[in-house]
Amino acid sequence: MQVGDVAVEFDKDGFMLEPALWDDAIASAIAQDEGIDEMSEDHWKIVNFIREYWKEHDLAPPVRLICQTCGVSVRQIYKLFTAGPARGACRVAGLPKPDGCV
Amino acid sequence: MADLIYLDNAATTFPKPDVVHDAVHEFYQNYGVNPGRTGCDLAIHAEQVIHGTRKKFSAFFNRSLVEAGKEKDPNRLVFTLNATMSLNLIINGMVGPGDHIVTTLVEHNSVIRPVNHKVKDGAEATYVVPDGEGYVDPEEIRKAIKKNTTLVVVNHASNVTGVVQDIKAIGAVCAAKGVPFAVDTAQSAGVLPIDMAECGIHFLSFTGHKGLFGPTGTGGICVADDAEIRGTVYGGTGVRSAHPYHLEEYPYRLEAGTLNLAGIAGLSAGLDWVVDRGLDEIHSHEIDLTAKLQNGLSEIKGVKIWGTRNLERRVATMSMTVANYDAGDVGTILDVDYGILTRTGLHCAPLIHEHHGSVPRGTVRFSIGPFNTEEHVDAAVKAVAEIAADRPA
Repeated sequence: MQVGDVAVEFDKDGFMLEPALWDDAIASAIAQDEGIDEMSEDHWKIVNFIREYWKEHDLAPPVRLICQTCGVSVRQIYKLFTAGPARGACRVAGLPKPDGCV
Repeated sequence: MADLIYLDNAATTFPKPDVVHDAVHEFYQNYGVNPGRTGCDLAIHAEQVIHGTRKKFSAFFNRSLVEAGKEKDPNRLVFTLNATMSLNLIINGMVGPGDHIVTTLVEHNSVIRPVNHKVKDGAEATYVVPDGEGYVDPEEIRKAIKKNTTLVVVNHASNVTGVVQDIKAIGAVCAAKGVPFAVDTAQSAGVLPIDMAECGIHFLSFTGHKGLFGPTGTGGICVADDAEIRGTVYGGTGVRSAHPYHLEEYPYRLEAGTLNLAGIAGLSAGLDWVVDRGLDEIHSHEIDLTAKLQNGLSEIKGVKIWGTRNLERRVATMSMTVANYDAGDVGTILDVDYGILTRTGLHCAPLIHEHHGSVPRGTVRFSIGPFNTEEHVDAAVKAVAEIAADRPA
């Protein structure tokens, strides 16, 4: 994906290979790829919290913490990010693929 | 957040009755020493509790023998840490290179993985395919048995869909073919009556922390008095220390090292609680709620229930998915937004998910216990309806 002068590369699941390149323009571009035409205030609130938490802990935040901090329910997150908090919001926030198991 | 609604009893029952907490506490408070063959009063007391629990479980799994006034050797009730360890001991003790084992697609990884390791080491295995609802036809077990079959191992109740296998009919097939029969009762012990003699079971594997309401880290095997098995763990027994090899006599043949003594004290209290309440009462309460849950979920557009809808031959475990959602996402929403705890994914039983077609992401599993209420079920149905409505099918 080309965003301005920056060529952004992704892994096979669509997560940024170089999270350090992330900025608002890249977030908006990934969001468009997620089917979000325009990032609203609620989108930014969630994405910025995920980003800050990740920078501090090197981990994606627990979903319950996102909800408590941003004042949203998980159902609202799924409405804002169709792919959900991990595959949607974390991807827009430029995180590497969060761990998860089945 | 709403009050917690625990619907994950197939993973472990929660809460545990107070008598179980009290028994564990009492062990450490009053007699928490290692038994073995020593003469001190505390050790004798501890040994009495352990041996008493062996007797209690031997009788619990052999009701017909007790009623007929026959003896069941309590030393053939061996303690392990969980069902996985029990099943490993059974499979490793019965199957060697060149041997053949018969099992089913319904099994948990506690059977699948040790069986696959046996195959890697030169054994053969046949996985019998159940019908569309998940029931295994005993005739298919008969067809699968070969001259070199040394063990048939079958899951009594599925931890994914709750189907209950006809172990009496499968046991009759094994008896006719002269093949030892092992049953995994992780999801049924404490919920359904199981009689080893009546079902021709040679090795009954159980876990303590589910339907028997013991603490985690408890489980065991009840070995039929006429069954033979090799020991495959070696070490301390507390008796005949000068002997260079592990002891052949029971319970030592299948036990090595110090037991989970406090856990066994709690497990004993858990079994008493189950027996006092009555298996029939526990099971019918759970199945009534399962029926209510199944009816409620069936009304919701986009909800799919996987496996059987039969209420007769099942335990209170049910798997479902919601259209346009990953199962894990539904579990997260139920947890965080509604305080409803379920279990999502493949539930350590990938082959039955493959059989039903619920791979790769699995299902949302609801599993009901004795402490659940109609209000819990109503709340779960309402929550699923709201979640489904967000993404109409």
